[in-house]
Amino acid sequence: MTGNLLARLGESFLLIAHEVGGVIHLLFKVLVALIPPRFDRDELWRNLYKMGVRSVPIIILTAFFTGGIMVIQSAVFVKKFGATSLVGWGAGYAVFREVGPILLGLMFSGRVGSNNTAELGTMVITEQIDGLRALAIDPVNYLIVPRVLAMIIMLFLLTILGDIVAIAGAALFGSVLADVSFAAFWTSFSQNLHIADLTHGLVKAAVFGFIVSLTSCWFGISVKGGAVGVGRAVNNSVVAAALGIVLSDYIITYTLS
Amino acid sequence: MIHVSNLHLTIGGRPLLQGMDLHVESGSVWGIIGPPGGGKSLFVKTLCGLFRPDRGSIIIDGTEIVGLSEPSMVPVRRKIGMLFQNNALFDFMRVWENVAFPLARLRPELSQDTLRERSLMRLQEVGLLGSEDKWPAELSGGMKKRVGIARATMTDAPLVIYDEPTAGLDPVTTSKIYDLLEKIRQETGATVLAISSDIEGLSTFVKNMMLIHEGRFLFQGPLSELTDCGDPLVHQFIRGLEEGPL
Repeated sequence: MTGNLLARLGESFLLIAHEVGGVIHLLFKVLVALIPPRFDRDELWRNLYKMGVRSVPIIILTAFFTGGIMVIQSAVFVKKFGATSLVGWGAGYAVFREVGPILLGLMFSGRVGSNNTAELGTMVITEQIDGLRALAIDPVNYLIVPRVLAMIIMLFLLTILGDIVAIAGAALFGSVLADVSFAAFWTSFSQNLHIADLTHGLVKAAVFGFIVSLTSCWFGISVKGGAVGVGRAVNNSVVAAALGIVLSDYIITYTLS
Repeated sequence: MIHVSNLHLTIGGRPLLQGMDLHVESGSVWGIIGPPGGGKSLFVKTLCGLFRPDRGSIIIDGTEIVGLSEPSMVPVRRKIGMLFQNNALFDFMRVWENVAFPLARLRPELSQDTLRERSLMRLQEVGLLGSEDKWPAELSGGMKKRVGIARATMTDAPLVIYDEPTAGLDPVTTSKIYDLLEKIRQETGATVLAISSDIEGLSTFVKNMMLIHEGRFLFQGPLSELTDCGDPLVHQFIRGLEEGPL
């Protein structure tokens, strides 16, 4: 019984070690391809558009209602204690530092990261990756590096956009639900928040983009076992990215605070 | 063109290629047959450097490729055109872009217009003019094969490998494909290796044959000698007999 449990634990440990090792190995290859830069620029532009521009509507929608939800949750207490002067600060602080980057990071992982894993995984099982190698093209330089860069850049930019929209949403819902005027909201926001609050969240966004890109690419290119394998890889990729986002969020928050 | 000696490859603890030796002259045309899972595709992929053998030697056009790093493999791979079993068309590129892709990488100085023009010429040869702006997902199986063939032969590589060029195709299309392969071969004078399960169709195209089973060659030689081979397994396989060692 104990031996069986130990064997299972050992098996799980080896599996996790294999995946972590794979991600680190891929990271090493990406860094090698970046110094000096040897990636495909057309692919980078294509991915910036596909991963970033096409994510704008869902990011705007998510961010707008996220800002609104925070005001809805606090509206009762704002009215009860007359704390209208804190609404702008509270919404901005939460959005910039925590809710913006983490929620958008998870949304980005679900939309872009999972799609990336599925696309790369399908390319593996349909021999497209072998096809690239047979044509003397390094798949890391051609496919992986542009995707990693595109995800980091676009999650960073989308977080800025998401922050702005979330604050706008909070101001609008604050005005409607808690009778906080736009002027009062703006005063509270601008007088109490600092640029460090924004950069704190943007550091997180860049790190989350990095985590989503590496995990989604690794699970994509290491697919085995056909369509079932692709499904499993997408699942693992989203779980690993979510875990990575939460863990790194804790570390960054602890370190920067 | 190709010289292989004592080639061994193990994957996941299973020996999949076991001491293979082969010599292929430049300009010759070889068919590769054998039961499924015997190592045919693995063997040709190993020739392209897509798998690293445990030991042995592979010399392609005078270059030993065993032990070469990926960057060092680039000049060798540029001498090889390959049609994959699943065609391996890039689904994020249109048909003409797929065909032009190897040429674009080989000769980056060529303009987009030139690449498109060359691609259309090749597509015309394979009977697909008019499909150049389609996506691979919009093509039938036979059309995909022909796009794959057009791409594999786009750079006039001196060695061309076709992995199942007629798999899943009807007899008429199969015949057309083999005519096309022969036409392209006559134009380029390339050395050709073609894997197929369709021995009859393949025999109309190749002059030599090799039979691979469980990672070993059971037969290598002129097509005319295949039927006289004394190996009972070869005998059973080429005649499609139910009784025998297979």
